[in-house]
Amino acid sequence: MAELHIIGQIVGGSGFPQTSLFCKWGVHTGGAWRLLSGLKEGQTQVDIPQTGDMAYWSHPIDLHYATKGLQGWPKFHLQVWHQDSFGRCQLYGYGYCHVPSSPGHHRISCVTWRPLGSWQEQMAQIFVGGGPQLRSPDLVYSGADRYRLHTEAMGTVELELGIITRHFDKYGVES
Amino acid sequence: MAATNPSVFLLTVNGQIEGATFPEYDNLYCKYCFVYGHDWAPTSGLEEGITQITCKGSQSSHRLIWNFPLETTFKSTNPSGWPQLVVSVYGPDVFGNDVVRGYGATHIPFAPGQHTRTIPMFVPEPTWKLQKFTSWLLGRRPEYTDPKVVAQGEGREVTRVRSQGFVTVSFHIMTKDMKKLGYDTGPSSPTHAHSATSGWSTEEQPYKV
Repeated sequence: MAELHIIGQIVGGSGFPQTSLFCKWGVHTGGAWRLLSGLKEGQTQVDIPQTGDMAYWSHPIDLHYATKGLQGWPKFHLQVWHQDSFGRCQLYGYGYCHVPSSPGHHRISCVTWRPLGSWQEQMAQIFVGGGPQLRSPDLVYSGADRYRLHTEAMGTVELELGIITRHFDKYGVES
Repeated sequence: MAATNPSVFLLTVNGQIEGATFPEYDNLYCKYCFVYGHDWAPTSGLEEGITQITCKGSQSSHRLIWNFPLETTFKSTNPSGWPQLVVSVYGPDVFGNDVVRGYGATHIPFAPGQHTRTIPMFVPEPTWKLQKFTSWLLGRRPEYTDPKVVAQGEGREVTRVRSQGFVTVSFHIMTKDMKKLGYDTGPSSPTHAHSATSGWSTEEQPYKV
């Protein structure tokens, strides 16, 4: 069986309306993949940067997968949230990106978006916060039924991922 | 003497903790240690250490230099649990107490060659203003009981931190027998491959290898 190691970190996020951000992340794979070790989902700490716009999480990722097929290649899905000084949390963006398929070190910028409500909801959001959220987060990494959504652009999340593959050449896979 | 069917591979890390950028703090020293998984074991070199105390030079306003050597070799059967370098920076506060100025961690690069990493440093943040004031007054800031926690992903969702500086580390990596065991780590890095993680990485580059 071929193996894949994903070793890196979720570096941080920038370009959001406010800092004091955290990120809920997860890795989704197809049926042919089996997780041998590592955590495939988690939540980062809340970071309030002293200077600058970028919130740094440095959240380590160390995943070991075994696979029988190339379908369902792993992808990261992220949710960026804002926590204010009272501890209330507000959604700032959804995003997803594929795990790179070539071995080596990669820097990835994952773009995020947020669902947009009606103009009444947007007005309420300015004063009270909150806002619409997806009922099922699978929509973040699947294309089905997206046409119903109206969204606005939010910031980017930086990831640094290192990929190590094993026995891919034995099975004739070029990457 | 080379084994035709090796069962372990080796990772040799030569490098240095070059220095740090902390706009608001001075007279800092740094403690480092390596954190790795169950399948890994160090075969030579030191696993942890403390640098000297340094202060900012007259030329560059933000830059502190340690130039502290790192030379360690690890062996393993499995890339899971790849070693991480955990760095903690300490310095005196206004009253002379030794307080923590930042924790950070980065994975050791795995492609052979030269790499530079800029590690963002963060401190745990007290949740309410009164606690912030008393900890500033008494010099007892929130600290992690074991800095190795920084290298793990679990349990982070309840912590609130403030990022306030960067540490620059450069590595020269060599591996042995990874290809024989079937692992492909990608192309070797070209020389001077920089991986700055911040928009405000060091303004000057005075110490090219």
